[in-house]
This record gives sequence, structure tokens and C-alpha cells, in this order.
Amino acid sequence: MDELQSLVDDLGRRSVEARLGARGFPDAFDGQLWGNLEQAGLTRLSNDDDAGPAAAAVVLAGVAKHAGAVPIAETDLLATWLASAAGVTVPDDGPLTVALADAELRDGRVVGTARDVPWPRATVLLAARTAGGLHVAVTEPGDLVEGHNIGGEPRGTFSFDVADAVTVDARVADELVRRGAWARCVQTLGAFEAARDLTVAHTGERVQFGRPLRAFQAVQHSLAAMAGEIERARAATALAIAAAADHGFDSPATEYAVTVAKVAVGRAVTPVTTIAHQLHGAIGVTVEHRLWLATMRARAWADEFGSPGHCARRLGRMVLAADDPWDVIVSGPA
Amino acid sequence: MGVPGPVSEFDALCANDDELADLRAAIRGFLVADRQQYGWRPAVDSWLGGWDTGFSERLGAAGFIGLTIPVSYGGHGRSHLHRYVVTEELLAAGAPVSAHWFADRQFAPALLSYGSEAQRREMLPQIAAGRLYAAIGMSEHGAGSDLAAASTRAVKVDGGWRLSGTKVWTSGAHLSHRIVVLARTSPLDPEHRHAGFSQFIVKLDSPGITIDPIVQMGGEHHFNEVTFDDVYVPDDDVLGEIGDGWRQVTSELGFERSGPERILSTAPLLLGMLRMLASQAGVDDGTATDVGDLVARVISLRQLSISVARTLAAGEDAATRAALVKDLGTRFEQDSVELIAELLDRVDRHTGELRAMLATARLHSPLFTLRGGTNEVLRGVVAKSMGLR
Repeated sequence: MDELQSLVDDLGRRSVEARLGARGFPDAFDGQLWGNLEQAGLTRLSNDDDAGPAAAAVVLAGVAKHAGAVPIAETDLLATWLASAAGVTVPDDGPLTVALADAELRDGRVVGTARDVPWPRATVLLAARTAGGLHVAVTEPGDLVEGHNIGGEPRGTFSFDVADAVTVDARVADELVRRGAWARCVQTLGAFEAARDLTVAHTGERVQFGRPLRAFQAVQHSLAAMAGEIERARAATALAIAAAADHGFDSPATEYAVTVAKVAVGRAVTPVTTIAHQLHGAIGVTVEHRLWLATMRARAWADEFGSPGHCARRLGRMVLAADDPWDVIVSGPA
Repeated sequence: MGVPGPVSEFDALCANDDELADLRAAIRGFLVADRQQYGWRPAVDSWLGGWDTGFSERLGAAGFIGLTIPVSYGGHGRSHLHRYVVTEELLAAGAPVSAHWFADRQFAPALLSYGSEAQRREMLPQIAAGRLYAAIGMSEHGAGSDLAAASTRAVKVDGGWRLSGTKVWTSGAHLSHRIVVLARTSPLDPEHRHAGFSQFIVKLDSPGITIDPIVQMGGEHHFNEVTFDDVYVPDDDVLGEIGDGWRQVTSELGFERSGPERILSTAPLLLGMLRMLASQAGVDDGTATDVGDLVARVISLRQLSISVARTLAAGEDAATRAALVKDLGTRFEQDSVELIAELLDRVDRHTGELRAMLATARLHSPLFTLRGGTNEVLRGVVAKSMGLR
């Protein structure tokens, strides 16, 4: 795992260097990074028996730490898995994404609008929910309206009208959301680490009143508070990674651990990003500074695949329905 | 560690794999039966307030004290994670554990690391039996967060030492058998403030000791002021090496800082409130969300605490993360009191038991972020380690 981590770190750093000064808002797809990741065989690890979710997590977090502008989570955790679960053929290489949407059936056709589709210029695998199940098909977004989230990542909206979709059990959609939430937690940890490293560096270099910022006790306490929130979020995410590695994504253990992690990581976003920006001063809100690539992506990811509030509600219901709340705290509902 | 590798990483992270799950079931069984027979009431912060020598003796007899003490010294030769599981189940149940608490948590490990063979043989079996209670004499009037300012001193005399000074905030000193005292054995060197300290194991009935209560707001008496007036301590009762006291008291802070008692001091109140909510029909979405937020904080903190315990049990360093657990965990304990009060407000029927626990929690909560090193000091420890990265 250490070797994998340093490989990803290296690719990430090279991407950052190659795009230095050339980055704006919104961010653009990094074809070179994607090519490097693909060449190293890192883009479809979670479904590989020899690698699995723990290895995929290392790649996701590492790419996110360097704000890599590539749909690695969408390709690896979502589309590759969904295609194989539904028996739909997708290209062997190149970036993939999933458009998860609610739809209706009209004369056997699946019709609806997909909103906030991540990286919609990638090969799109439609996953449309109706009362009849989940309908899966590779689709070409016709009337794509391109936008982005506040972290500058491409997000798109398009309508669809598909005749030849494969229908699978609705539970597949639940797993898809769980996988998405899992991936966003892992990625957010990477973004947190970037925000922390930038903040530690800045407070060590920036001099005011004749001293580096880090010499001030108030600043030290803010840094410690930030580190605490990050380590707590990391511990919750580690449990979700272990759950997926041990039991797969379609398991009560993973459902429990991902729900907990989405709340814990999501609730850490406000303190971590607030402290990072506060300690950077105004330079941190400029487009040429890299901080927003960490803080605003973390902010955007918290709400994707289940907001913290939504997940807290689900966890709360889980606790109140359990035989004993203490069991849920120890290891999830029996 | 002689523990076999976990089958499931998930279970291991939950401190609930194989042997630990069996142990958890065993301590739960003991607690239910013991409470039924002896009628103690679950209490918040019971590691400070719940003094019950009968309970400690029964717990010891059942094999749940001195888990990490080797079998040859009357203990059970298990890992720190075994102790972790038993400790958190005791706290979650609100069991009256304070009589044996400091002996089991601090004194026994100190004896194992620094004690003489005679000291170990004399005291460890008694600690494991839940019959020997120890107080920890560290803070003084002029030495709180700045422990190195301690001025209690020991002067060498024939065959032993003469101890003089005053310790404060000494939990349970009025009921304990021994007190472990940190004292200066050489004068303060301003260049090396941490040098010249030593530790002494002092019998609390020694001539020259005066114990006065420090009564907490709310009227409870757990803390004491312990004055040593030229108290004779034989050489045999020195703990470890003369001059090595500072290292001895600081080297094993990790377990203490990151343990379940930094998260679960209010757990009986939290669990009582949750059980009451669960028994009610039609809990609204807002309440369910608040419950989920509260529980997610406990679970994520517990995960962090266990990950530190696993690192420490493997013999690796986790000093910074241990400090983080204490800062985050005790702030959570404090926050939890009013969050729980808000949720209780939405419950139709309160029980007297929950009301009493809430009152105790409010009276104790200012202590959560003070005891064992203030959070401000801990944050300094954390920030320092970040700067060196």
C-alpha cells in the first residue's frame, strides 16, 4: 500500500506542476493525469479481486489530495461496477461516469432528466430509477447543459429517452449511492490533507508582527482543532474502507459505516475549511491560490450522494430502531 | 502481542473481533447480574464519583481488573485492547468503578514499568483483586498545567526520605491506601526544569499526612488536599529511579489520554436518553437527525480512540493522536450534556434517574476538559507536532 501511495503521490505532484498557473475556474479535465493513471493501471481497482476497495481508496484520496481533475471515483467505484452488475458493455479504457436520475416509463422507453451528472463529457452510463427498478444503458447526452460544482468540477444536466436499457433490481441503485458516498468520504480526506498541508506551510512562512503566524498561540490552537477534525473524519472513513473491503458494498456493515462516515466527514468540512481560510487570510480565496481546490471540493462533495443531514437522519433512525443504541455505537445494528 | 491476527479488519476496528467479542459478552453478563443483585444505579462520570469497594472486589474476583497485569503478579496477562473493552463497557453501564480506577489505570502500569520486584509482589495481586486503591499526587496549588512547577520535596535521610509539601485535586485520597507522589529530590534548575523529580509510593496512614476535603460545587467530595509534613518514606518505597520522575510520569500518558473515559463520561445519560426516545412512537425527522449527529460524533471519536489504542498496543508512538483524542473527546463530553438535555426536552416522560444524571453531568462537565491536562495544553502538544512535519 505504501508503494501504491507514493506512486499516486508522484503522479499527482506531476499533474500539479504541469498545470501550475494554467488553472482557472471552472477546472478542466486533466487528460495527461488520466493517461498516467490509466497507464499505471490505477483507474479500475475496486472491482479487481487482487486490489479491491482498500487500494482504490489510496488512489482516490491521493488524487484528491493533489486536486486531480479526473473522474476516477466515477469510473472506478460507480460506472465500472454498474456496467458489470447490469451486464452492459462499456469501453475498456477512457473515463466513465454515471448519471443517476429518477425517470418514468413511457411505452417501454425510459424518460427523464439527469441533473448534476459528474464529468458528463466522459462515457455516460445512465442509471434511471423507476417503480420498475433501475434501468441501465450507455447514453450520449444530447442536450447537455454544462455547469460545475463550487469546487470547479464539471457537472451537467441532460434529458434522456432510452429504448434499450437493461433493468436491474432497485437495490442496485442503493448500492450505487452507497459507493458514491464512500468515494466522496475518501476523496474529502485527501482534500482535507491538502488543506492542512497548505495551512501548515502558510502559517510557517507568512510573517506578521515580526513572527511567523504559527508562533501565535491562537493560531496553534486553530491548527490543532483542524488536525483533530481531520483525524476524527479519517477514523470514521477507515471503518468504511474496512467494511467495504471485508464485506463488500452491499452489506449492513458498509451501509452502517458509510452512513456514519458521511456524517462525520461532512460535519468536519465546516471547521476544516473555515480554519484553513481564516489562517490563509484573503490570499486563500483567490483563484490563483490552490486552497479553493481543496476546500471547495470538500464542501461540494459533502452534499453529493447524501448530505450530512440526510445521513444523520438515517443513522438516527437506525439507532432508534435498534435493540440497544450502545450496540450501534460499538459495531452497528445487530 | 500474542493475539492472533483479526479475521475481519472491520471487527478489529470496532474492538469486537473474536476474543474481544467474547470478553465484551462476559463483562456485559457480569454487569447485568451484579446490578440485579446489588442494586447500584448507573451514574455519569462514575470513574470519578462511583466509589463502591464491594463492587470493586466483586469485579476483581470475576477477573475484570488488572487485565494487563501478568498472571505471575495475580493479573490476567491480556492486551490493552482487552482492557479497553472492559473499561468502555463499565463506563457505558455507569458502573461504580472509582475505588479501583487509578490503581488499575495508572499505578499498576507504573509498577510494571518501574516498580521493584518486592513492590510488584506486594501490590499487584491486591490491585487485580480490587482491594488496593491508590491516589495520584501530582498537582499542587502552584502547579496545575505547569506540573514542573511542583515544589513538594523529598530530602534524603538515613534509610529513606523525608517528604514535605501539599498536593491538591487528589481524587479519593481520603479513601485510598496509597498515594503516588511526585516530588523534587534536587533543587530546581531553571535550565532543566524537568530534571530532579522522583516518585514515592506513600502509605496514606503514615504519620505526618493530613487529608482535607476539597468539596465540589454540588456538594460532592472526591477531591482532597493532601499535606505532607516531614513524612518518612523508606527507600523501599521509592518508585523507579531517583531523578527519573518526570520521564516516569509522562512516558505512558498515551493510554490515559486516549482511553474510553475521554469520550464516555456522559454515556449512561446519553444511552438512557436514546433508550427513552426509542421507546416513544413517532419521533420526528428533526429529532432523528439530532440523534444521528450526536451518535456519529461518538462513533467517530470511538474509532479514533480505538485506532490510537491499537497503535499503542503494538508498541508504536501515538502521542499526538492521543492528545487529539483527549481534546476532541472531552469537548464532545461537554457538548453532549446540553445536546442530550435538548433531546430529553422532547421526551414526554422523564425518569428521576435521567434527571439526576443530567444534574450530575452539568456539575461535572467543567472538569471534563481540565482533568489530566487542560485542553489548551494538549492543543499546544498537537500544534508543535504539526510544525515539525
